[in-house]
Amino acid sequence: MTATLTAPRLAVLSRPDPLLLRLTWFVALTALPLMVASGLDGRLFQGDDIWLKPLKFHLALVVYTGTLALFGMLLPAGSLASRRWRLYLGLVTACTLAELLWIDGAAALGTASHFNTTGFGSALYPLMGLAAVILTSLSLAMGLLFWRERQDALHLSIALGLILTFVLTVPAAGTLANNPGHLVGTPVTGARFPFFGWSAEVGDLRLPHFLATHAMHAVPLAGLTGNRTAVWATAAGFTALVGWCLVRALQGLPPF
Amino acid sequence: MTPDALFQIANPLALLGWLALLASPLAPRAAHAVAGAAIPLLLSLAYAGLVLAFWWQAPGGFGSLPEVMRLFTHPQIALAGWLHYLAFDLFLGAWEVRTARAEGIPHWALVPCLVLTFLFGPAGLLAFAILRFTLVRKVLP
Repeated sequence: MTATLTAPRLAVLSRPDPLLLRLTWFVALTALPLMVASGLDGRLFQGDDIWLKPLKFHLALVVYTGTLALFGMLLPAGSLASRRWRLYLGLVTACTLAELLWIDGAAALGTASHFNTTGFGSALYPLMGLAAVILTSLSLAMGLLFWRERQDALHLSIALGLILTFVLTVPAAGTLANNPGHLVGTPVTGARFPFFGWSAEVGDLRLPHFLATHAMHAVPLAGLTGNRTAVWATAAGFTALVGWCLVRALQGLPPF
Repeated sequence: MTPDALFQIANPLALLGWLALLASPLAPRAAHAVAGAAIPLLLSLAYAGLVLAFWWQAPGGFGSLPEVMRLFTHPQIALAGWLHYLAFDLFLGAWEVRTARAEGIPHWALVPCLVLTFLFGPAGLLAFAILRFTLVRKVLP
């Protein structure tokens, strides 16, 4: 196989999907009152501002749905227009909103959202896991649309990134969800990665989840080179990286 | 931020909106943007933040008058209640200005209704409804 460099096909073929675009705006704007609450509220949850987690989820979902809306513009017009796609996008939207309502509501009430083992919260937890898988499945579904266009290196990279986001996130997040908490191992003295807050001294299952979910951003960067070999190598390398971080976290060790 | 500090910011902010409404014949669009959207939405944002942060510890409830009175013994919840007044009264004032303009009710006749809405919200709404019915025979929004 010869690696040929061709300019990637960064052609905008359609308008952003209206539902995904509206969802992105909505999730971004509803973060505003949470920021105000964060400024006024003195409550801590496991040592952090109680509103930090909701704000992280709003940010993450804005990036997720915003990226999917932007990627959708590279697909032929009408790719998401069928009745089946409209219903599916409606379901994904409902799951996204339910997920945020659950996380924001838990913060307002001062209880755990994930890892909740008492009362109503523990009954909701598995249900929210299902909603999370459904909303993540949108990256797989859109990845398969891009796979049809894989003769172009950029489209191939987006296809692989999106498919990997689903394929890697489900086990990474599933492992995290089925653990008693996000940390594995002791002692926890509080050494953390800056900004992200992952533990720098024991295993933190949030790190492989984060990396897995950002396959959709990492692999397409390789696609911008127009080199298919680089795309496949990045996809393989990124998968290995996620696997490495997941195994290390399960052993109770920081990634490096 | 303490509830007192927020209170000290919110009052002049609302007052600014009311001044914009009083001066609205000079610049109707700007007055509407400030008093009908920007300031009420800012106050609403602060209100929503307060409720998200403090509702869980609020005493009392909605079920009886003593419960409601107990609710307002909590400083942040009482502040939220005050912001509720400020935001909704101003929003209503902006609606009165807009409606009066559209229906040809003179601004000088509207001014007493705006003052009443500012000071005693629902009494201002009632005054505007009476004025409007008297002048243009309309009640529905």
